[in-house]
Amino acid sequence: MAAKEESNHLPTKRLKSVSPVYDDPLSGEDEAVELELQLQLPHPAWSYPTTPASFVVSDASSPGLPIVYVNASFEHSTGYRADEVLGRNCRLLQCRSTLSQRRHPSVDLAVVSEIRRCLELGVEFDGELLNFRKDGTPLVNRLKLVPIYDDDGKVTHVVGIQMFSEAKINLNSMSCPVFKETSEQECDETGFYCQTNESPPLGPQHYEEMSGILQLSDEVLAHNILSKLTPRDIAAVGSACRRIRDIANTEHMWKMVCQNAWGRDVSGRLKQMTGKLGWGRLAREMTTLEAVRWKKLTVGGVVMPLRCNFSACAAGNRLVLFGGEGVNMQPMDDTFVLNLDAASPEWRRLSVESSPPGRWGHTLSCLNGSWLVVFGGCGKQGLLNDVFVLDLDAKQPTWREVSGGTPPLPRSWHSSYTVQGSKLIVSGGCTDAGVLLSDTFLLDLNVENPKWKEIPTSWSPPSRLGHSVSTYGKTKLLMFGGLAKRGHLRLRSGEAYVMDIESANGDGESQARWRQLECGGSSPPPRLDHVAVTMPCGRVLVFGGSIVGLHSPSQLFLLDPKEEKPSWRMLDVPGEAPQFAWGKSTCVVGGTRVLVLGGQTKEEWILNELHELCLASRQEPDA
Amino acid sequence: MSSKKKVITLRSSDGEIFEVEEAVALEWLTIKPLVESGCTDAIPLPQVTGNILAKVIEYCKKHIGASESEDRKILYELESWDADFIKVDQGTLFDLIRAADYLTIKTLFEFTCQTVADTIKHKTIEEVRHIFRESNDFTPEEEKEIRGKSWWLQGL
Repeated sequence: MAAKEESNHLPTKRLKSVSPVYDDPLSGEDEAVELELQLQLPHPAWSYPTTPASFVVSDASSPGLPIVYVNASFEHSTGYRADEVLGRNCRLLQCRSTLSQRRHPSVDLAVVSEIRRCLELGVEFDGELLNFRKDGTPLVNRLKLVPIYDDDGKVTHVVGIQMFSEAKINLNSMSCPVFKETSEQECDETGFYCQTNESPPLGPQHYEEMSGILQLSDEVLAHNILSKLTPRDIAAVGSACRRIRDIANTEHMWKMVCQNAWGRDVSGRLKQMTGKLGWGRLAREMTTLEAVRWKKLTVGGVVMPLRCNFSACAAGNRLVLFGGEGVNMQPMDDTFVLNLDAASPEWRRLSVESSPPGRWGHTLSCLNGSWLVVFGGCGKQGLLNDVFVLDLDAKQPTWREVSGGTPPLPRSWHSSYTVQGSKLIVSGGCTDAGVLLSDTFLLDLNVENPKWKEIPTSWSPPSRLGHSVSTYGKTKLLMFGGLAKRGHLRLRSGEAYVMDIESANGDGESQARWRQLECGGSSPPPRLDHVAVTMPCGRVLVFGGSIVGLHSPSQLFLLDPKEEKPSWRMLDVPGEAPQFAWGKSTCVVGGTRVLVLGGQTKEEWILNELHELCLASRQEPDA
Repeated sequence: MSSKKKVITLRSSDGEIFEVEEAVALEWLTIKPLVESGCTDAIPLPQVTGNILAKVIEYCKKHIGASESEDRKILYELESWDADFIKVDQGTLFDLIRAADYLTIKTLFEFTCQTVADTIKHKTIEEVRHIFRESNDFTPEEEKEIRGKSWWLQGL
């Protein structure tokens, strides 16, 4: 394929329109035209009024991502003619001269590895990178890479949109390590070897005189090794010597580490919540919890009639409250929403066509970001085991009943939790006859006909209610506390149990097994109806609930169930702590804000006073 | 094409000649185009010594086909084979990483990098320095600053 003349230099402004119409740059190449039509200008900072954008299209189905198309602006900006670059990898722009097959040392490797990672994940990249014109002039490349998918979800092409500007750096003042040039003439024209040419030849004669890890390239160190570590490990490794510090201590590195350690979604949400805090600081604060504090919030609106024993949870930045026990044990069936993004947040009753039967002692969970799921509880006619789902983002939010095959026994005061975004876990609780339960059920709401599945376990902790179930890792559950059966008695429990639900999947031969987690340190006093918050790194915070004696419910306890010898740690948190905190009325927003509903008294719920446990300091974006 | 398995010849930096099945060589993306083009000469690999290339070939031969297997037994067996395979000195480990990077062998590259990452997990600054025989090249002032900032590494 050859690049055709393109008469039309596309001003960036034009690209901003939703469906720009281009002159056909590749007559007959419908595919490439379509690719361009899918592009949208990503960044408002790009609106240089006159500079036309450069385009590069690479073939993602061929190894080495060969360039299959460049526009005229690319040729003009880089000094390379189309026929000189077609079939090669874009990486050639990172080499200062056409003879040098290695990346120039002043090119930021963190950016390079971020590009590589985005390409591997098939997501967009947006950032700045040092490039060189064919004549060696340095250029700043404001680059956006957009993967193009086919119908089968496979990346077929990668489109690069480039805004080149002058780079004001003095390359002569930079130290350029001298590497042996290697002979690879037979492969030169593929542009394929750029990434490896930084390395001297391998062999035993070299490693003895080199200090271990430092013989690896910065890119491999950053992208392939350090990014697999946790924030805490990066802090340790980055303090070992200068070179690793310089590689590790960049925002790109911290971003990669956070995303790998916490997952992309979670870290994205955390970043959003903490504004301009920066990845390095965020990683540290979420690890040390040095910035954790209590804050009191006052919100408007009313939740009427008055009630208790409702259930609340967060869906994005909205708190949702459903049902509860009104005066004279009246089961309530209304839904309220508090939008924390509003300038002055207030409780509003959600108008829905029909509601699930009124209830209290049920659970409300959030799935898929905006679905709310009600399960069980105590209704007018006794205990329930029905499931209702409402999509808060729907035009007209509606409660829908989900018939899920054979449901668990009707119950109240059970525990629910969402795993893997869309699966509801229900554990324990209390039946009509007052019998405590010890079972665990799973309902996957992402499939067409959701069916309840009991997770077969070969051993379960004593049956209980009012306990907490949270997840760590992808499929591991941590159960803590509750009112548990012990002989003829029912006692508050202070024990922790873990189970991997994954081990129960498959042929039914293998069963999952709860196992008591032996924990050292200062354990939280036994309790029920408490709060358990899973942090992005898998650690769990426990506080609140009903505790015997003089223990304060606002005392925080931290546990990392992944540790070899898990140990509880007490956290002292400054600020105005709530007097009471209950699991079912506490909501976790965006991974860094824990909102405790319900004012100062045990009997009456004042829902206009919230206590917020802030896990990371928040830098207002517009501050 | 004959039904006989095609063999590709490779030459290491120190001139050693190796023969691998085509299927193995096709997993090495760097030389894949050459292999596909029907290259019959020995492919020179100027960045890999013979002893490292031998290890790389050993790994790839073992893994071809087996990595995708769904048979738990095979995967379990492969895992323990890998664990033995990677019991090498640090120099060899780093050479393997660079060879895998150079030849673009994804599985070996991921595996060796993960091995290094696992070695430096949950370690103190001193332990990391010791593991990688890195010398502390910070000035006393910088060292003091690092100590001040890294209080949070303890007891987490």
